[in-house]
Amino acid sequence: MTTIDERTGETTAAATERATPATTLLVDVDVHPMYLPRDILPRLPEPWRTRLERSGGGRGSRQGSQTYPRLRNGGYRVDAAVEGGFPGSDLGLMQEQLLDQYGHDVAVLIPLIQGAGEPAGFQAAMAHAVNEWVREEWLERDPRLLATLNVPFDYPDLAVAEIERYADDKRFVQVAISGGAHSEWGDRKYWPIYEAAEARGLVMMCHVGGGNNGYRGAGAPSFYLEQHIWLHTTMVRLAMGMICEGVFNEFPALQVALVEACISWAGPLQWAMDATFEVLGEDLPHLEAPPSQYFRDHYWMSTQPIEEPDDPAQLLQAIEFTGMTDRIMFSSDYPHWDFDSPDRALPISIRDELRDDIYGQNATHLYTAAAERAGRHASA
Amino acid sequence: MSAIAHGAIDCDVHVEPESMAVLLPYLDPYWHEYIRGGRIGIGHRLYPASEALSARPEARAAGSFPPADYSTLRTQLLEPYEPRAVVLTCVASFQAGRNPYYETAITRAINDWMREEFLDRDDRLRGSVVVPTLHPEAAAEEIDRLGADRRFAQILLPVRSETPWGNVRYRAIHDAAARNHLPLALHPWGGVSMAPTTTGGAASYYEDYLYNSQIIAPAQMLSLVAEGVFERHPSLRVVLAELGFGWIPSLMWRYDKDWKALWRETPWVRDRPSVYIKKHFRATTSPTQIPRRVSELEVAQFAHMLGAWDFLMYSSDYPHDHGEDGSEKLLGVLGEDGREAVLRGNAAAFYEIETEPAGVTPPETDEEARR
Repeated sequence: MTTIDERTGETTAAATERATPATTLLVDVDVHPMYLPRDILPRLPEPWRTRLERSGGGRGSRQGSQTYPRLRNGGYRVDAAVEGGFPGSDLGLMQEQLLDQYGHDVAVLIPLIQGAGEPAGFQAAMAHAVNEWVREEWLERDPRLLATLNVPFDYPDLAVAEIERYADDKRFVQVAISGGAHSEWGDRKYWPIYEAAEARGLVMMCHVGGGNNGYRGAGAPSFYLEQHIWLHTTMVRLAMGMICEGVFNEFPALQVALVEACISWAGPLQWAMDATFEVLGEDLPHLEAPPSQYFRDHYWMSTQPIEEPDDPAQLLQAIEFTGMTDRIMFSSDYPHWDFDSPDRALPISIRDELRDDIYGQNATHLYTAAAERAGRHASA
Repeated sequence: MSAIAHGAIDCDVHVEPESMAVLLPYLDPYWHEYIRGGRIGIGHRLYPASEALSARPEARAAGSFPPADYSTLRTQLLEPYEPRAVVLTCVASFQAGRNPYYETAITRAINDWMREEFLDRDDRLRGSVVVPTLHPEAAAEEIDRLGADRRFAQILLPVRSETPWGNVRYRAIHDAAARNHLPLALHPWGGVSMAPTTTGGAASYYEDYLYNSQIIAPAQMLSLVAEGVFERHPSLRVVLAELGFGWIPSLMWRYDKDWKALWRETPWVRDRPSVYIKKHFRATTSPTQIPRRVSELEVAQFAHMLGAWDFLMYSSDYPHDHGEDGSEKLLGVLGEDGREAVLRGNAAAFYEIETEPAGVTPPETDEEARR
């Protein structure tokens, strides 16, 4: 709720309507540690180290951040700046501003990694270097942290090898799906990754953005305003593609977290999928239930950036439309500009029991149940 | 299969020439060879006969769909359902390839065919102007050519585009629409040769069809507001035809929230985006995309989120079959006045159907068009 309301008074008024934070457990499923070249270079073998040095850090290189400049401090909280670093690059500041301030029980780290157009070897080396950095500099230093394993998603053999390398480290609870995948997410070429994740009790997680968004059905928008709002359609595509192409028929225990795409689109999308399935079901002969059933059995959603209808009761209604009150998980998106605070993200219309589920219980179920299924010790 | 309403203003009824031969009289001889040599057909690829959605059982039984001539339309729709007015749509040009000159020629031919085959024969019928999407200047010329004929009720644009429809490169189309006081109507498909999503093509017709409404239409709504099209043309209106509407409340909430923080990027957007959307956009009712399992209470809650009473205009989307898609349940929660508004009133106001006599009148002088 730190988006600034330009209209006088409304911020104060809204604050009084916020629910109190969770009383039982606070699990934040979208926290971004940001790596710097100095973190990654020593962990990269040649020739990739030289390649990264020459490309200036690999962040936003040829097709990245200048496409849609973010007119909010470059996309970050102003107060999250790190001297000599980058917002999110310093664990100490993250502890101060997030983990200690709100009393996080668990934070799930999602290091965003770019370079979907890079060669396979570079992507694999980068993913591993970032995973090592996360393990050594973050997981080892704060027991509240869990992490996402980065993999070279478009090269499934290399991705599976990376998953196997960390098979015994229970702090890596999920595997990142590339938001900018070369093929669509239901494509059979990715199934070895899903198979490996399912077998090891790892969640698959997609975070919006990333990769090459060079073409799309309506063409490219002009403004960050449009691009940022439209990002949730990544999840529409992913959710439909994985269901429609039979991923969950093949991997019935697989669980997928859809992160930073908020919630309210998911109810009406399930309606549209089911209504259309009644007419066009012959296109999807392998589905054994209406698409919404797969949706509710396999997907999880994070809250941020939480919707704010004028009538807060409508947010609760929209959540209930999803039929997934047990699968919605709080996320803050620290340190980005549209950070949602744990003490103000949910309006008072969210009843206490559901509030506790969203703030902590649901995420705990996701990450422990997945682990237990695979015989791993529960971490969260 | 949802029943077709009786006596409504029906805002989306499909017609299509039976074959390319029907259009040849409206085309320059150069294109006759182009069409014959290239074996270009009308195609019916967007709504293939093999897909259940493409035709209701009665249309399928009649053997011809969508209606290819006036007598078929009369037999299948006008006589049994006695609509007060019908807005006809022909999407045959939405798959017209990458040649902008061919697209210019074929859209013009379709418009002339629609005028002679349908509009000249029944005062209840309104037409949609199709335009070359790859050639905005020619599109504006076509809008100006037909704008004086008030039987054309809207400009039909494919929802898939190379660049979102609000973009400045389409300003000639925005200006021509405003100058001729014609709404823009977005409708599924288009975007020939382009993938529907960032990760490529769809693996099934089911997915491809839904991407029109669930992924692409939202991008168009974002664009038309963000680019300030409605500040330049305060009277310009947009109808979302056959694109659903379940996705709209969520998009309005997100749009308003982001705008509060990011408005500096688009300072010409002076109101909350939802204000523009409620004022300038309307959606047709078919497909309603609400399955049976959704309760009346939920439908009523949703109707409030959307402001359905003002936002929706009835359509049968004939001959397409959307199953039991919830349109009756939705109309049921709106009350008598709401039902009347959706079946007739909103469309009458939007298309000025009751206030304008059919026939040719001079175009209105539009102050804003000169800005």
